[in-house]
Amino acid sequence: MKGCIFNIDAGYLEGLCRGFKCGILKQSDYLNLVQCETLEDLKLHLQGTDYGTFLANEPSPLSVSTIDDKLREKLVIEFQHLRNHSVEPLSTFLDFITYSYMIDNIILLITGTLHQRPISELIPKCHPLGSFEQMEAIHVAATPAELYNAVLVDTPLAPFFVDCISEQDLDEMNIEIIRNTLYKAYWEAFYDFCKQIGGTTADVMCEILAFEADRRAIIITINSFGTELSKDDRAKLYPRCGKLNPDGLAALARADDYEQVKAVAEYYAEYSALFEGAGNNVGDKTLEDKFFEHEVSLNVHAFLQQFHFGVFYSYLKLKEQECRNIVWISECVAQKHRAKIDNYIPIF
Amino acid sequence: MGSLFRSEEMTLCQLFLQSEAAYACVSELGELGLVQFRDLNPDVNAFQRKFVNEVRRCDEMERKLRYLEKEIRRDGIPMLEIPGECPEAPQPREMIDLEATFEKLENELREVNQNAEALKRNYLELTELKHILRKTQVFFDEHEGGANTTESMTRALISDDPNRHMGHVQLGFVAGVILRERIPAFERMLWRACRGNVFLRQAEIDTPLEDPSSSDQVYKSVFIIFFQGDQLKTRVKKICEGFRATLYPCPESPADRREMAMGVMTRIEDLNTVLGQTQDHRHRVLVAAAKNIKNWFVKVRKIKAIYHTLNLFNLDVTQKCLIAECWVPALDMETIQLALRRGTERSGSSVPPILNRMETIEDPPTYNRTNKFTSAFQHLIYAYGVATYREVNPAPYTVITFPFLFAVMFGDLGHGAIMAAFGFWMCYKEKPLQAKKIDSEIWNIFFGGRYIILLMGLFSMYTGLIYNDIFSKSLNIFGSSWRNNYDGSTLQSNQLLQLNPDSKDYLQYPYPFGIDPVWQLAEANKIIFMNGYKMKISIIIGVFHMLFGVCLSLWNHLYFKRRISIYVEFIPQILFLSLLFFYMVLLMFIKWTTYGATPGHFGSQDPEIVKTSAFCAPSILITFINMMLFKHDKNTRPQCDDFMFSGQMFIQKLFVIVALLCVPIMLFGKPYFIMREQKQRARQGHQPVEGNAENGTAGGAPVPASGHHDEEITEVFIHQAIHTIEFVLGSVSHTASYLRLWALSLAHAQLAEVAWNMLLRKGLMSNDYQGGIFLYVVFAGWAAISVSILVLMEGLSAFLHTLRLHWVEFQSKFYGGEGYLFQPFSFEIILDSAGQAEE
Repeated sequence: MKGCIFNIDAGYLEGLCRGFKCGILKQSDYLNLVQCETLEDLKLHLQGTDYGTFLANEPSPLSVSTIDDKLREKLVIEFQHLRNHSVEPLSTFLDFITYSYMIDNIILLITGTLHQRPISELIPKCHPLGSFEQMEAIHVAATPAELYNAVLVDTPLAPFFVDCISEQDLDEMNIEIIRNTLYKAYWEAFYDFCKQIGGTTADVMCEILAFEADRRAIIITINSFGTELSKDDRAKLYPRCGKLNPDGLAALARADDYEQVKAVAEYYAEYSALFEGAGNNVGDKTLEDKFFEHEVSLNVHAFLQQFHFGVFYSYLKLKEQECRNIVWISECVAQKHRAKIDNYIPIF
Repeated sequence: MGSLFRSEEMTLCQLFLQSEAAYACVSELGELGLVQFRDLNPDVNAFQRKFVNEVRRCDEMERKLRYLEKEIRRDGIPMLEIPGECPEAPQPREMIDLEATFEKLENELREVNQNAEALKRNYLELTELKHILRKTQVFFDEHEGGANTTESMTRALISDDPNRHMGHVQLGFVAGVILRERIPAFERMLWRACRGNVFLRQAEIDTPLEDPSSSDQVYKSVFIIFFQGDQLKTRVKKICEGFRATLYPCPESPADRREMAMGVMTRIEDLNTVLGQTQDHRHRVLVAAAKNIKNWFVKVRKIKAIYHTLNLFNLDVTQKCLIAECWVPALDMETIQLALRRGTERSGSSVPPILNRMETIEDPPTYNRTNKFTSAFQHLIYAYGVATYREVNPAPYTVITFPFLFAVMFGDLGHGAIMAAFGFWMCYKEKPLQAKKIDSEIWNIFFGGRYIILLMGLFSMYTGLIYNDIFSKSLNIFGSSWRNNYDGSTLQSNQLLQLNPDSKDYLQYPYPFGIDPVWQLAEANKIIFMNGYKMKISIIIGVFHMLFGVCLSLWNHLYFKRRISIYVEFIPQILFLSLLFFYMVLLMFIKWTTYGATPGHFGSQDPEIVKTSAFCAPSILITFINMMLFKHDKNTRPQCDDFMFSGQMFIQKLFVIVALLCVPIMLFGKPYFIMREQKQRARQGHQPVEGNAENGTAGGAPVPASGHHDEEITEVFIHQAIHTIEFVLGSVSHTASYLRLWALSLAHAQLAEVAWNMLLRKGLMSNDYQGGIFLYVVFAGWAAISVSILVLMEGLSAFLHTLRLHWVEFQSKFYGGEGYLFQPFSFEIILDSAGQAEE
């Protein structure tokens, strides 16, 4: 029944989004890109794709950062266009997507101020999708409580932040904890929101979000080895909306080294496969890349179904992956370091 | 044979160009626009081609030009159109000069812009400071005013200070300027971060200020914040920084402030003069650039197009010459040779380029030469499908049939005249309108079809005269052939009266041209009479149109030497169509000529005469249905004959049987001949036989290997079955489809009549002066409806139906439409599309 009335509000945008998706670079494009000798070649080839003339007005010695900026700018324009034309509940859904960028921006700014960097230097590094009005005044705050009371209380992130207020002061460790607590609250809220929308959106998005939550739990665990984070504290940071919940998370909380984490993943078919091929040796793909690959395949699958919001999320994530790929290739080209140029993650 | 009837004969040529001469030669060919180059290295990446560096330099030049153009547009300086002829593509060595010029211009402009921006920033700061000084004056005045709200609040803030009199002096403050829309968030944040221990006053700056980096107009507000203590000061400053508020020093004592304000005013004055000079300089640079910019654009685009084309070429082993392959119209070989020679001379090379004809089995592109009149019609055909190479081109016939069929549906002298006038205006003002380059898509559609519109309007006027229909009224030009002989009282007392053609009511000769205007008065049976007439006309036109289509297929068969197709496709098809449907058309003519209501017949009791009277006229439709069913109904009227002419029953039976016999011939004929031929060939051992042209290509197609026989034969059978079914069922449904001519014509006439009766007639009924005013209003409504609904909407619908009649009913009889278009390398096309993309 939902499918019938879906098109009234979101049909146009879904069509638009699917159209955008068709512009995502194919494997053949990547094969051409990796053959480029200079960034000028790269620009010339990208002109033949959906990116068109996005670099045409840049003066000639191209830098990777210009390419990165322009790629991001194009993506942001597309996303903002979708957001501006959307109505409830899609607009809330799209806002939810931007919250993760807000979290990243806040963390970036706090860390920056902690290291005594001027705010004007940090602002250009923030993701434009996650910018909000009070963002630039964030360095007023010296403690999490202040941060909450002065800055974040007016932003949509306020409900996620409530758990972090108890932290005493802002140091490296606490910032990391704040980030993960924020993300945990964010994933769980997003998960609940998608559940509440129901229908195909819930089917598709819960799958993707569950994976995101599990990935975070696993990465937190692996990164916590050798730090002073206690196991109890660690367990508090796990998002509880994934497939690992509750048994897997309990097992992860007890883990002491990488092998034990791997043993936990053994119980879950999709994750054990990811650990199988991962390694740190030359030529092996890292666990991180494996996760990215799995994310890409999940997001590609979102396009197999119609009449749901998952396509917007997936499109953004796929396009981001594409930007990462292009930037990776451009870096390799610019630094004449071709050995690892094939380490991009193809999408189609 | 002119290429209007068939597409141009094309040859594939190989072109050997000296490396030095290649550029000049390609440039000449680009001016000519008659050559389509083929990509000889399709699997080489765009950035691995030979002249990629040149292309890149052109891109860079174009970028600089775009930057210049943007700046010129921003200042609203008019750009001069290129006077007269387009500039030729410059020599490669000229490219360096161009590059240098652009480089210099761009740098100069950027420098000027940078200076201007710095100056503007300075100016902005000073203006902001001026506003701050002015507005804060008010705050301080209030402050010192004593017993007002400010006073009481400052007291509350420092209530624990024992020395109350000195209290407000110790308050620190900062003053600054902030974007107006940020004020609410700024205020809230201040309150939260400082726990309410600051006091903010703000005032709006009324005039918008210019943002120096984007040169947008922005609205800003002045604010002043009072606080106590250093900690709060740093905090407030941080917040101000976060909200991108600019802070300015503001002296505390009024005298200092006044002095500062004076200083600021003088500096603003100075800055204004400098700014004016900078702007003047910028303007001079841009005006100089604006004179040439279009010219430069054309040059750069031409160079780029030439190098793009050169990238399609192959380099030979010795690197001495470039090899190109291209399609050229066979008739233009001479012109191309000449152009190549010109190019060689220009480049000063001694070795002439070589143009070789090549044998190929590939299908050449379709190229129909058009002029501004035929091109619109050719595009109507292309919209359905580009003609297969060298097949009959329906466009020349469409030039007449299209407006004519349209007019049959749109027959109204008045509406036709409006349309023709619009079309004529567009054709008459062609040049100025073309030069205007109007962007609107709808206008461009109309303008592109101006000759079609003109013809459609003229033809509609003609059919309108035939239907005797002008805005649903009739013209009595020649005087009606009917007279009213009833006396006044009869006319008063009867609702309906008949005019008898067999009396003095009828003058015994018909109205000389078109429908007699007397029918306008026949309220009861006008529609019935017009329907009978228009339906028959539609079928007659339709059958002739389709027969003509089938005949055109004969031309195709003859040209492609498909002998078998003539015997087993064309002949059965034409037999089928003419024995059934053309016979029906003949019956209509027989009915019109044999039966009549002319005097001597009507009143007469002579049985011979009665038999040819309108009383005995049979229904064509019933006759035709009976013919198909092999039965004949006894005429219900005893005094009439059963048949229209003697031997009718026999002829009809014969026709139907022959027509039906044609179906199996169409179905099995061609597969049978192909099968037989293949067997023969197999027996003779794969020797090519004379008639292997069945494959449709005039050139010698390769002999298919015997292993594929079975599949191919089934394919041929299926193909043939589809074609036969399509033709047989099609000829029934297509004939019926032509009835849309009648249906739309009826609809149009009725709509026009409704518009007249409902609007204009109401306005004409009143006799006194109010009627005049009323008519004035009503006429506007009637005219609007006439133009918008009757001319525009009805015209569009008739246009679409005509298009369908041509694409489906007419072209399905002969048109393959499987070719691809000839796309010559032409500067004109490239510049046009570049110009459009820019807008």
